[in-house]
Amino acid sequence: MEMVIVAPPAPGKLEDLRRRFFATPLQALLSLISLAIMAFVLWKLLNWAVFSAVFTTSGGPEACQAAAGACWSVIAARWRIILFGLYPFEEQWRSALACVAVVVMTVLSCIPAFWTGRRIALVWGAGTALYYVLMKGGVLGLPYVGEEAWGGLALTLFIFVTTCLIGFPLAICLALLRRSELPWISRTTGLIIDGVRSLPLISILFTFAVVLPFALPQWMAGDKLYRVILGSALFFSAYQAEIVRGGMQGVPKGQEEAAMALGMSYWQRIGRILLPQAMRNALPATINQFVISFKETSLVVIVGFFEILASGNAAYGTGEWRFAYVEVYAFIALIYFVFVFSLSRYGAYLERRMSVGER
Amino acid sequence: MISTQSSGAAVHIENLDKYYGSFHALRNINLSVKRGEKIVVCGPSGSGKSTMIRCINRLEQHNGGRITVLGTELNDDVGNIDGIRREVGMVFQHFNLFPHMTVLENCMIAPMIVRKRPRAEAEATARRYLEKVRIPEQATKFPGQLSGGQQQRVAIARALCMQPQLMLFDEPTSALDPEMIAEVLDVMVTLASEGMTMICVTHEMGFARRVADRVIFMDHGEIVEEAPPEQFFTSCRNERTRQFLSQVLGH
Repeated sequence: MEMVIVAPPAPGKLEDLRRRFFATPLQALLSLISLAIMAFVLWKLLNWAVFSAVFTTSGGPEACQAAAGACWSVIAARWRIILFGLYPFEEQWRSALACVAVVVMTVLSCIPAFWTGRRIALVWGAGTALYYVLMKGGVLGLPYVGEEAWGGLALTLFIFVTTCLIGFPLAICLALLRRSELPWISRTTGLIIDGVRSLPLISILFTFAVVLPFALPQWMAGDKLYRVILGSALFFSAYQAEIVRGGMQGVPKGQEEAAMALGMSYWQRIGRILLPQAMRNALPATINQFVISFKETSLVVIVGFFEILASGNAAYGTGEWRFAYVEVYAFIALIYFVFVFSLSRYGAYLERRMSVGER
Repeated sequence: MISTQSSGAAVHIENLDKYYGSFHALRNINLSVKRGEKIVVCGPSGSGKSTMIRCINRLEQHNGGRITVLGTELNDDVGNIDGIRREVGMVFQHFNLFPHMTVLENCMIAPMIVRKRPRAEAEATARRYLEKVRIPEQATKFPGQLSGGQQQRVAIARALCMQPQLMLFDEPTSALDPEMIAEVLDVMVTLASEGMTMICVTHEMGFARRVADRVIFMDHGEIVEEAPPEQFFTSCRNERTRQFLSQVLGH
């Protein structure tokens, strides 16, 4: 006898909704109440953000204060401060281009076609050089602008990207040193990693910005901005090193043995066998670390840099727009959201891509 | 080059000792394997058979005695060891294929980066050996998409792509479902008939009978018995060997 198993017919959309939310009278009541609350909140929000909001600067702050809704005029009037900080008004197009350069560099290095040593080095070298020349000027007829005047989104992006560019390779080195067979190397590395991790980021930034110049000869100290980036990269690498190490521990021992048995050298085993698998294991935690680092860039304000959050404070902080801080913060939150959300979507894409042929 | 005492010997082991901490894993092992010879090593678990063949390509370091492989003595010279590993293929119990590469890439990577062969040549070689282990159609798949028997045959092809002079098999069928053991053993029998020098740790006594020139029985880190298969299976001298054989062949 042959058994024929027929799948029950798939329920329609309406039927599915009824089953999920209106199966019993109580459930129906709860669903309706929730729906009403959601509709109310959404309507309030839209009313504030769109219907009763003021979008033009023509009426000035007074028109805003009279209106019931959001005052987006503050953004229209002050967006340049938020995005570019204290950068000279006439030169702000350079800061905008520099932002574009950093974003393009990041996007390019996220594309698998650029994952060869030479291409990635070219992208990063060109990207950072372009950023530096555009921001600092002093050549090609661009007026000189010192690092102390950099600010806003351009500074936030620069600090984040350079932190990762320096911190990530450093993290891999630290993770490899920590699994060294020589106890004095692995222990020392462990001590450094745990030491850095047990300090608050703020104290590290402060040390690098303010204390380090006293300990270093003048020519070595460099500008405060680069010292702060180094400090933040060190902090990033200590956390990321542990993430990478965790990923390495997830690679079975047999993998390295098989590579050894084929005659591969240490660096071939690390580069071709161990790291690709370790990074796949470590990907979710790595994306997490990137997101955290992006948001932690706001801490540089304590050593005197006007990154985007501090520029936002400055945007509403002067007299006439003092009441419109919610709108400014909402705008900055939106900018953060765009970057962080793209980062996590990219992480999800990578996970899908790497899980091809998953065991 | 090849010194006089080991001329013609693929592997020459003299008074080998190996400790894990205070545990004496290998005791005074002496073994010489000629080129083209097929050796089957068997024995109860924990008897040191895997440890012994892992010493031959220095996945384990020995603590006493001498190991000479293809005329080169194994010592702390890293260049020597990488040189020997190029010439000695190994197949593991758990396959150890690289999961992030396709079957073809698994077979091409070592010839390309270790032997510096051009990509086209490495690919041609890889396809030839995949043909030989009878899975050419799986070349573009990932190891995780194959059955255990298929994976182990890929692992054999991967080792052969380095064109080794000696093959080590460390319990190649122990992790396989029964119906897949035959397909792996068939490949090994073919390889043996082509004259490859092989040292196999295995409990497949039928395979030992068919291809082995000598069967070695180990227990407690020692070589207890060493004989051609006919003699080994019919008239072994040692009590421990007899007991082991009755357990392996008994049912």
